[in-house]
Amino acid sequence: MTIGIVSAAYIAAAVLFILSLGGLSGQESAKRAVWYGILGMGLAVVATVFGPGVGHWLIILLMIAGGAVLGHYVASRVQMTEMPQLVAALHSFVGLAAVFIGVNAHIEAADVAVLDEAAKAALSGFAAILAHKTPLELAILKVEVFLGVFIGAVTFTGSVIAFGKLAGKVDGKAQKLPGGHMLNAGAAILSLILLILYGNGAGAWALVLMTLAAFFIGYHLIMGIGGADMPVVISMLNSYSGWAAAAIGFTLGNDLLIVTGALVGSSGAILSYIMCRAMNRSFVSVILGGFGTVTGPAMEISGEQIAIDADGVAAALNDADSIIIVPGYGMAVAQAQQAVSELARKLRAAGKTARFAIHPVAGRLPGHMNVLLAEAKVPYDIVLEMDEINDDFSKTDVVIVIGSNDIVNPAAQEDPNSPIAGMPVLEVWKAKQVFVSKRGQGTGYSGIENPLFYKENTRMCYGDAKVSTNSVLQLIRA
Amino acid sequence: MKIGVPRETIAGESRTAITPDSALQLQRLGYECLIESGSGSASGFSDDTYRAVCVKVVDEATLYENSDVIAKVRPPALREIDRLRPGQTLISFFYPAQNAELLEAARVKGANVIAMDMVPRISRAQKMDALSSMANIAGYRAVIEAGNNFGRFFTGQVTAAGKVPPAKVLVIGAGVAGLAAIGTATSLGAITYAFDVRPEVAEQIESMGAQFVYLDFAEAQDGAASGGYAAPSSPEFREKQLEKFRELAPEIDIVITTALIPGRDAPKLWLADMVAMMKPGSVIIDLAAERGGNCDLTVADQRIVSDNGVIVVGYTDYPSRMAAQASTLYATNIRHMMTDLTPAKDGNVFHNMEDDVIRSATVTYQGEITYPPPPPKTKAIAAQKRQEKVKEPTPEEKRSRETAAFKAQTLSQGLLLLCATALLLVVGAYAPSSFMNHFIVFVLACFIGFQVIWNVSHSLHTPLMAVTNAISGIVILGALLQVGSGNWLVVVLSALSVLIATVNIVGGFLVTRRMLAMFQKS
Repeated sequence: MTIGIVSAAYIAAAVLFILSLGGLSGQESAKRAVWYGILGMGLAVVATVFGPGVGHWLIILLMIAGGAVLGHYVASRVQMTEMPQLVAALHSFVGLAAVFIGVNAHIEAADVAVLDEAAKAALSGFAAILAHKTPLELAILKVEVFLGVFIGAVTFTGSVIAFGKLAGKVDGKAQKLPGGHMLNAGAAILSLILLILYGNGAGAWALVLMTLAAFFIGYHLIMGIGGADMPVVISMLNSYSGWAAAAIGFTLGNDLLIVTGALVGSSGAILSYIMCRAMNRSFVSVILGGFGTVTGPAMEISGEQIAIDADGVAAALNDADSIIIVPGYGMAVAQAQQAVSELARKLRAAGKTARFAIHPVAGRLPGHMNVLLAEAKVPYDIVLEMDEINDDFSKTDVVIVIGSNDIVNPAAQEDPNSPIAGMPVLEVWKAKQVFVSKRGQGTGYSGIENPLFYKENTRMCYGDAKVSTNSVLQLIRA
Repeated sequence: MKIGVPRETIAGESRTAITPDSALQLQRLGYECLIESGSGSASGFSDDTYRAVCVKVVDEATLYENSDVIAKVRPPALREIDRLRPGQTLISFFYPAQNAELLEAARVKGANVIAMDMVPRISRAQKMDALSSMANIAGYRAVIEAGNNFGRFFTGQVTAAGKVPPAKVLVIGAGVAGLAAIGTATSLGAITYAFDVRPEVAEQIESMGAQFVYLDFAEAQDGAASGGYAAPSSPEFREKQLEKFRELAPEIDIVITTALIPGRDAPKLWLADMVAMMKPGSVIIDLAAERGGNCDLTVADQRIVSDNGVIVVGYTDYPSRMAAQASTLYATNIRHMMTDLTPAKDGNVFHNMEDDVIRSATVTYQGEITYPPPPPKTKAIAAQKRQEKVKEPTPEEKRSRETAAFKAQTLSQGLLLLCATALLLVVGAYAPSSFMNHFIVFVLACFIGFQVIWNVSHSLHTPLMAVTNAISGIVILGALLQVGSGNWLVVVLSALSVLIATVNIVGGFLVTRRMLAMFQKS
C-alpha cells in the first residue's frame, strides 16, 4: 500500500470516529455508532499493517490475536456493576502502551543518531522519519516523547489505583502520604527539570527517572481522592489517555493518532467538567481531594430517624399513584438493580407511574446508574435525569431512595455552611413520602449528616438494599 | 353534668347551639342535654327530632336551674345573665371588648364564661373556631345575596338572544369570609378580583381563582403580626389603596367588603364618591356593617339604594340567614369545645386554666374577670419570612440585560481568541512547519471533539467512556509502526503495546455493544 492510500484510510477512520462519538447522542443511533467506531479502527489497523515500513508480521499477528482473545474474554465476562473497574483497567493499558511507545521512540532516535548518512538513507519506516529530522525537529521530538511518556505514566498508575479502589482491592478512602500535595508538586517540578536536562542532551536516565516520578504522581494523586469523586477521576483519566495518544501521535508524526487522541481527550475533559458541575465543585478541588472549606457550623438537625419495615413501605406503595426511585451507589454495591427493576415493573403493571431519577454523579462512573438499570431491563424512557424530573417531586406520592445519600441531601440547599452547599441535588423531600433504603445509620462517603433522614415525611428502611427490595416486592399487589 | 341550650332571645336570630347530631356526640362525652322548647325550630330542628335522641325539652326556667353548662349563640342579654348562678358555665359569643357591662355582670354572678369569639387562632383550636365557620357562611351568603340583588348573570354567556358579559366582582379583605366569597363568586362564573392589605395572602387569593389587586407600594406591611388578622394601615398606604379602588370602581359590578381590624371600627374603604362612580344596578355587600361598615353608605341591617341606583346591603345576620348550615357548624364548634373541657370523657367539666385555648377563651372565671388573656404560649402563625418579590423585568430591562450579556460574552471570547492567536503565533515563530501541520490537526480535532461530545446524552456517558476507551486503543498504530525496528528491545516493547492496545480495542468495543444492546425503550 502506498502512503497515499494509507492517508486516505486514516482520513476515513478519523471521520468514522467522529461519527461514532456523535452518534452517542441517542440510544438508538448509538447502536449504529459503535459500528462506525469498529469500522474506523479496522480500517486504521489494516492500513497501517499493510502500509509501508512495517515488519515482523508474525509477531503482529500473534499479538493481535492474543489481545483480541483477552479483550473478548474480559468484555464478555464483566458484570455491569464492575464497569467502573473495567474502564479504569482499560485506561491503564492505554497509559502503559503510551509509555512503551514513547520509550521506543527514544531508543530509535538514539539508534538513528549514531548512524552515518548512507545508513540513514537505507532506513525505512519510523526510523526513516527520524533520520530526516532537522536538529530543531529532533528537539521538539524530545519534548513530545517526554510529554507522551509523562502523561502515559500518570495515566497508568492512576488508572491502576482507581481500578484497585473501585474493585475494593485498595481502601476507597482518600489517603495521602505525609507531605500531601507537596510531594506531587515536588515530583512535577523534578519532571520539569528532567525535561530541560533531557532536552539538552541528557541520556535515557532522565527519561527513566521522569517515568518513575510520573508513576508516583499518578499513584499518589488518585490515592488522595475518595470513592464518591470517582466519576471525576475516571473521566479525567479517560481524558489523559487521550492526550497521551495525541502526544504519541506528535512523536510519530501520525495525524490519525493526533485526531483520535484529541477527540478522546476533549471527551474526557467535558465529562469531568459535567461531573464537577453536578457536584458544584471546581475541578482543582476534586483533584486535590477533600471538600471545600467549611465556613461555619453545620445547621442543627432536629428530629430522629424513624425506621419502617417492608410492610409499611409496601402499603404506601400500594396506595401511591406516582412513584420515583432514586438509585445510588448502594444499589450497585448490593446488586439490587434486578429487584429494583422488578419493583418498577410491578408498580407500572398496577397502573402506577413509576420512574427513575438519576443524578449526574450517582455511582462511580458517569452514567453508571443508567447502565445498571438498562442491564436490569428498565426501559430508558422512564429513566430521567435530574433536570427533567426535579420539578416533579412535589407532585409525587412516594420516593424511594436506594443507596444514595449526598445527591439527595437537602443541606445543599438549606444550609449555606454545608460542605456541599450549592450542589444541585434531587429534591426528594418535596414528595409526600420518602423511603430511604440504607445499610445503617452512618453518614455517607462525604461524612455529611443528611437532614433528609430526619424529615417528618421520611422513613428509613435499614438493611441490604437487595433483601429489603425483594421483601417489599412480595407485598406489592399486582 | 347537664348541658342546656336556651332559645335565642334576639329577634331574627335563627341559629341554635345544639343540633340532634351534636347532642348525640355530647351524650357520648357523658353529658345530659336539655333544650328550651322551640330553640331549634328556626333552624329546622323540631322539638321532636331532639326528643328522638333523648334530649329533654323543657322551659326556660327549668333549663337554667338544672343545667351546669349553658350553650348559646349570641352574647347573653343582661336578663339572661341574671339567671346564671355561681359555678355555672356559659359558652357563647361574648365580644368582651365591647360588652364590658355584661362582663362585669357575669363576674358578679360568679359564672364562668367562655367566649367562642376569643378562641385563639392556632391550629389545635381550629375545630372550635366559630368565628371562622360563621365567616365562611357569611362569605358564601354575601355572594348569594349579591346575586339576589344583581339583575344579571354572574357568568358570561353567548346566547342566541345576545351576548351577556360576565359580572365583575371585587372582594376587599381576604380573610375567611373574603376567601369564601371569592370561591363562591368564581364558581358562579364571575370575574373576581380581590384585595387585601397583607400581600402574603396573594397566593391564597390566586389559589381560589381570583386576581390579586396589587398596589404599587414600596413597604408592604407584615399583616400576620396579630395572628393572621389585618393591622391598621398607614395613611399613605390607605391613600394608595383608595386611589386603586377609585380606578376600579366604574367597571366593578359587585363589591363585597369584609375588611375588619380586631377591636376597632371597620375602616372606611368604599367611599361615597366610589359608589357614585359605579354603574346603576351594581351591588355592594358590606359584611362589616355590624362594625360601622366599610362603605360610606352602609346602614346596618338595611338594604338601601343610592341616588345613582347602586344597591348597598348592610345585613349583619348572614349566618342566621342560613340557620340550618350555621347551626350545624356552630354546634360542632361547641361540641369540640366541650370535648376539650372534658378530657376524661366522664361528663364532668374540667376547666383547665393551664390550657392555652381554654385560658384564652375564658373571660370570667370564679368571680374574676380573666379578660384580656395573656398571649398564648404557642405562636399563632410562624413569623412570616420576608419574601423578596421577584420583579418581573420589563422588556427593555430584559433587552438591555441581554445586550450586556452578549457584550460580555463577545468580550471574553474576543480576549480568549486574542490570547490563543498570540500563543499560536509564538509557537509558529519557533516551531518547524512539520510540527505546525500536526498542530493544526490537533487543535481542529479538539474543537470537533468539544462540539460532538456536548450532544452526548447523559444516560450514555458510560458507553461513551467505553467507546473512547476503545478508540484510544489507536495507540496501536504507534506500536505497529515501531514493531518492524531492528532493535530487539523496541520490538519487545512495541509487541507488548500491540497486545494491550488490542485488548483495549476489542474489550472496549465489545463491552460498549453489550451495554447499548441493553438499552430498551418501553
